[in-house]
Amino acid sequence: MANQFSKSSLRFAFATALAWVALTAHSQTSVKQTGAIAITGGKLLTVSHGTIENGVLVLADGKIAAVGEAGKIAIPAGATVVDAHGLTIYPGLIDPDTTLGLTEVSADQNSNDLAEPSDEIMPHMHVYDAFHAETELIPVARLNGVTNAVVAPAPEDSVAGQDIFIQLAGRNRDEMILGRDVALAMNYGADQRRRGGRGASQFPSTRMGLITQLRQSLMDAQHYEVSRDAALKKSDKADEKSGDKSGEKSFQRDLKLEALLPYLHGERPVIVGVYEGYDVESFMKVAQEFHLKVILNHVTRSQEILDEIAAWKVPVIVGPIYDLPRPNERYDAVYMLPAELAKRGVKIAICSGEAGGPGGAHGVRNLPYSAGFAVAYGLPYDEALKAITLNVAEMYGFGDKLGSLDVGKTANIVLANGDPLDVRTDVKQVYIDGVAQPMVSRQTRLRDEYSK
Amino acid sequence: MVPLPPTDLLLKNATVMTASHGTIEHGSVWVHNGKIAAVGATVDAPANAVVVDATGKWLTPGIIDPHSHSALDSDVNEATSPVTPSMMMIDAFDNRDAALYHALAGGVTTELLLHGSANMIGGQAVVIKNKFGLSRDAMLFPNAPRSIKFASGENPKRVYGGRNQLPSTRMGNFEVMRQSFENAKVYMAGWDAYNAKVAKGDKTATAPKVDLKLEALADVLRGKLYVQIHCYRADEFLTEEAIAKEYGYKIRAFHHALEMYKVADQIAPTGTGIATFTDWWGFKDEAWDAIPWNAVMSMRAGVKVALKSDSNDHIRRLNQEAGKMVHYGGATEDEAIRMVTLNAAWIIGVDDRTGSIDVGKDADLVIWNVDPLSTYARAEKVYIDGDLFFDMAAPGFGTPHFSGAMHSAGGVGGEDGAENEDGD
Repeated sequence: MANQFSKSSLRFAFATALAWVALTAHSQTSVKQTGAIAITGGKLLTVSHGTIENGVLVLADGKIAAVGEAGKIAIPAGATVVDAHGLTIYPGLIDPDTTLGLTEVSADQNSNDLAEPSDEIMPHMHVYDAFHAETELIPVARLNGVTNAVVAPAPEDSVAGQDIFIQLAGRNRDEMILGRDVALAMNYGADQRRRGGRGASQFPSTRMGLITQLRQSLMDAQHYEVSRDAALKKSDKADEKSGDKSGEKSFQRDLKLEALLPYLHGERPVIVGVYEGYDVESFMKVAQEFHLKVILNHVTRSQEILDEIAAWKVPVIVGPIYDLPRPNERYDAVYMLPAELAKRGVKIAICSGEAGGPGGAHGVRNLPYSAGFAVAYGLPYDEALKAITLNVAEMYGFGDKLGSLDVGKTANIVLANGDPLDVRTDVKQVYIDGVAQPMVSRQTRLRDEYSK
Repeated sequence: MVPLPPTDLLLKNATVMTASHGTIEHGSVWVHNGKIAAVGATVDAPANAVVVDATGKWLTPGIIDPHSHSALDSDVNEATSPVTPSMMMIDAFDNRDAALYHALAGGVTTELLLHGSANMIGGQAVVIKNKFGLSRDAMLFPNAPRSIKFASGENPKRVYGGRNQLPSTRMGNFEVMRQSFENAKVYMAGWDAYNAKVAKGDKTATAPKVDLKLEALADVLRGKLYVQIHCYRADEFLTEEAIAKEYGYKIRAFHHALEMYKVADQIAPTGTGIATFTDWWGFKDEAWDAIPWNAVMSMRAGVKVALKSDSNDHIRRLNQEAGKMVHYGGATEDEAIRMVTLNAAWIIGVDDRTGSIDVGKDADLVIWNVDPLSTYARAEKVYIDGDLFFDMAAPGFGTPHFSGAMHSAGGVGGEDGAENEDGD
């Protein structure tokens, strides 16, 4: 009997181990918090209301249930207490511009779903159709405290497609995508011209062509909306009389033009990747003409028009901070941009990209260091932390759920052994929806295997 | 006119990270005629020395990049044949390229400018001191050892395989190399025989034809060139070592070396070092098993480890890349700073001259506002041979020796930007 018991318990342990292997290999971990967690004694960087040196953070049902100074916060009976003395605790980081889940091995075309370059105007490309939830890149980013990200198509086209907002945990795509079509990814500048390095010249091969094509597309969408609404109204009337639905059936939807409508209505933001100051100015003319809700992305060669950008009152995803300056500019011409924009009252976000390459994927884990680098060049520390947490959440419509240590927000929490923006700091534990994430990735498994 | 550097310079009261013998709090360095004359808690500099008060600042040796493709206008691959050992990198060096300035502002004082990795044997590198603003010749590192760049793996097989030429596989890659050394052996034997005759006074001996390609390969076999090999995979480190043993040359370092952690215990006894990335990964198949703990794990197994940029972007912040080693694997600050100074100097073969703050070495020094391994570090002053080449507080570029126009370093839409991460 005793023998049989131990056998079955052994079998149970083995099955559990197998399940664990399967879980870590094929999904991004489970997501339901059971039982309250109280994280005590750590330094809380709340982002929204300052630093609490000796703080208590209570997580329950996947949300932040309480936050405050030790002694002032009741620890719920039965809560699992996590001693965080000596640790720094902050909200999960959010990267505003990634290609996570759209690439695995950069040079391996079969693993890439980065952009659809067959035409410039591709608003009907939905990132959620390509997002690969089981990518090995996500646990790697998560280990350094990144819990959320925007996934956007690569900047091939004037209108590249629509972004998703993800959580870096979940059993499958549906659990990981918090928002579909949260923004329209647009781009404007030399890189979008269909010429030179892009093969044989075809329209639009100049900036003039790009702008004309964009303006025409937006007008086509406006016209489409009027025609569509008229057709539907007509079919409604016909229905009332005869019950005939053929009018609705016979109207042919144009998915491409329809995809532009929420943005023409200003319901959601367009994220415009643009570098040069004069390109920013050209694009903004079109944006104002069509009342687009603009978030500027990059602006790393727009040093001359920072006051103008501030006057437009548009948020800016500034960077990559590592973009190279022009020859004959001072070496820190890009490094100091976050500080210069913030000084002018612009709401900024910072991404993890490197020089010449927006839309980080493999390098998302370096997000906090981009923000720290901005601090080295004048950005106030609190603004830097905000630029990779709360500001990003707010820009994409998640400001009430993410980005700060406030009661009621999603319990996406990071515990680290020091300053989150410092390269030397080691993240000790990441919670997503109040669930402690396994601190493993394909890379830690290789490390551990070869450390034996 | 730029004033001559002072005969005596005293950098006073800094946290001095020597890279060779620990950190000295409130330390000072006396520079005499461009060389380090003394380092310690107190130094006996003459009263007329120019004094720089570095109170509250940090002082390190100049940062050294053992793998850069800066200032070469993308002329890094003579990709018309897989074996081009006589291509001289110096011939493509543009000493006014803005990438040099950007690196200087990040504290970089010495670079090994290497060929790309299209060819199994790419050509011979050039070592520079980053004296931005001086003439081409004045920027060459005097009497630095000659290095030759080899490659392996995906890049050569892609470049030539794409043209349906040999090599298109790793089998082809290595066979191309072996055949080259077989050819070089015959060439060398011809010259050895001739030289022997001449030494015996044979006046009828006729000299063989000089073949620049075979001459360079012969110099590898003669041990006159430091062999620097672009190599990612564990199996290829082992093959490269076997070929080196077969033909009797030494490998100085594997570059990239992302899978070294898998075989570090086997490579350590060979004495071959590595120049690796900290955390780049996944850009191609042979970078799929890259882990950020590679550098520290390999170091602990006894391999000499340096970090390198291979990028006009990363070269500007190698100090932070070193800082990541504290995070990934728990390197001490001393070990971390050594990876971008003394160990990098060793890869190039100039560690007897630069790379640490020791008496008699070149005064290649950087003053930082805070601990250089932190994210917040900025290089404030950069000295090379005791001369100030970058000063953050100076107006304009902050370059006492440079004025005028720089050349393009690429950038957005450019060809020579950081996207050439693999040097191919």
